[in-house]
Amino acid sequence: MTCDEVREQLAEHLLGTLEPPVDAEVQRHLRGCAGCRRDMAALAEGVSTLALAAHDVEPPEALRDRTLSTLEDEWTTDPTPARGLGRRMMWLGRAAVVVALAGALAWGAVASSRASRFEAAAHKYEAFLGILGGENVRVGQFDSSTTQQFTGSVVMYDSTVEQSWVLVLVRAPGMQGTAHVTLRSDDRTIELRPIEFEAGGEASTWLVTSSNLKAFDHVSVWGDAGIIATATLESD
Amino acid sequence: MRAFAARERGAAEDLYDRFASRIYGLGIVMLGSDAAAQDLVQDTFMKLWRSADRYDPSRGKLETWVLLVARSLAIDGLRRRVLESRVLERTGRPAEASPERGPDEVAETMDLADRARRAMSGLSDGQRAALELAYFAGKTSAEVAELEGIPLGTAKTRIRTALLKLREALQEQPRDV
Repeated sequence: MTCDEVREQLAEHLLGTLEPPVDAEVQRHLRGCAGCRRDMAALAEGVSTLALAAHDVEPPEALRDRTLSTLEDEWTTDPTPARGLGRRMMWLGRAAVVVALAGALAWGAVASSRASRFEAAAHKYEAFLGILGGENVRVGQFDSSTTQQFTGSVVMYDSTVEQSWVLVLVRAPGMQGTAHVTLRSDDRTIELRPIEFEAGGEASTWLVTSSNLKAFDHVSVWGDAGIIATATLESD
Repeated sequence: MRAFAARERGAAEDLYDRFASRIYGLGIVMLGSDAAAQDLVQDTFMKLWRSADRYDPSRGKLETWVLLVARSLAIDGLRRRVLESRVLERTGRPAEASPERGPDEVAETMDLADRARRAMSGLSDGQRAALELAYFAGKTSAEVAELEGIPLGTAKTRIRTALLKLREALQEQPRDV
């Protein structure tokens, strides 16, 4: 996309109302264009001004204690370590695991399996990664948005150090061709490589990245007519 | 945010004092009731805590991130009610001084709010309507264009121009009192 095309979309990108494929294109452009990032920052300041002008209303006093108490309850019952501190990880060992898994996928080892083994593989990956650091593993099951039978799983490994990755394994009997796959958070969208359905309707895709994936909690599969299926990633 | 993510009560209090009024006000405007607005404040802070380690300062200001998280939750609330259209009402209540804020901070905030409201009143009717539909109702520019009976390009331009005008208003020097 050109800068002029991106600038046209920036307000909607900021407000989260762009279609995911277009949003992903805008995001890709912003990563490499300081000028457009400055433009977006200017629009974001406009949002702040709008908030001040249109909906700055002092809440009831009691809400403060109630909200802070609820937060403290959450802190007390949440068993994970204080966020942001993280544990030191054996980076080389984990990176080697990620490379090995990505290599197995590239060799087509997973792509040649049947759907039932696809789901079993996803659970095995989850168990395996649990040995490495289970609190960073998330899984999700696809729900079909159409009458097309569509099953599958998403496994996401969030790394606090370097490599994060996501694995998408699906089966849609009778489907042919390719479909787009997107990862979505509240304000960002990442497009994975498209999936290509094989004879039995099986397909897979993956992403290995140094980006932090913790914000991403929805995976959608898109055809020409719109969303085919969506998976929501649940934390352990 | 790091302190908040590390469960420091003081950081949570600061965050609340900075943003609760705008989140609550957003709930009043978008969800239409005090109860829903209070729930929005609580749900937003819970989401901020659960995603605190995902905030990346290099991608934008904390204020924008917090507001958009709250707005996203409010839009989810609206969709759950299967509302297709709303009449946007302001409560008409001016921002009240918080007992925790010092007088200089109150004065600065009210000055900013005054300038922001003047900026809003300086928008054309079309710009204001397009921005309100996009921001408060979560409408895409295509939906704004259809609702307003204008071309798609015009809808995009109005939303963008409105946001930039509001931003310019805060760049101006405050009036001498």
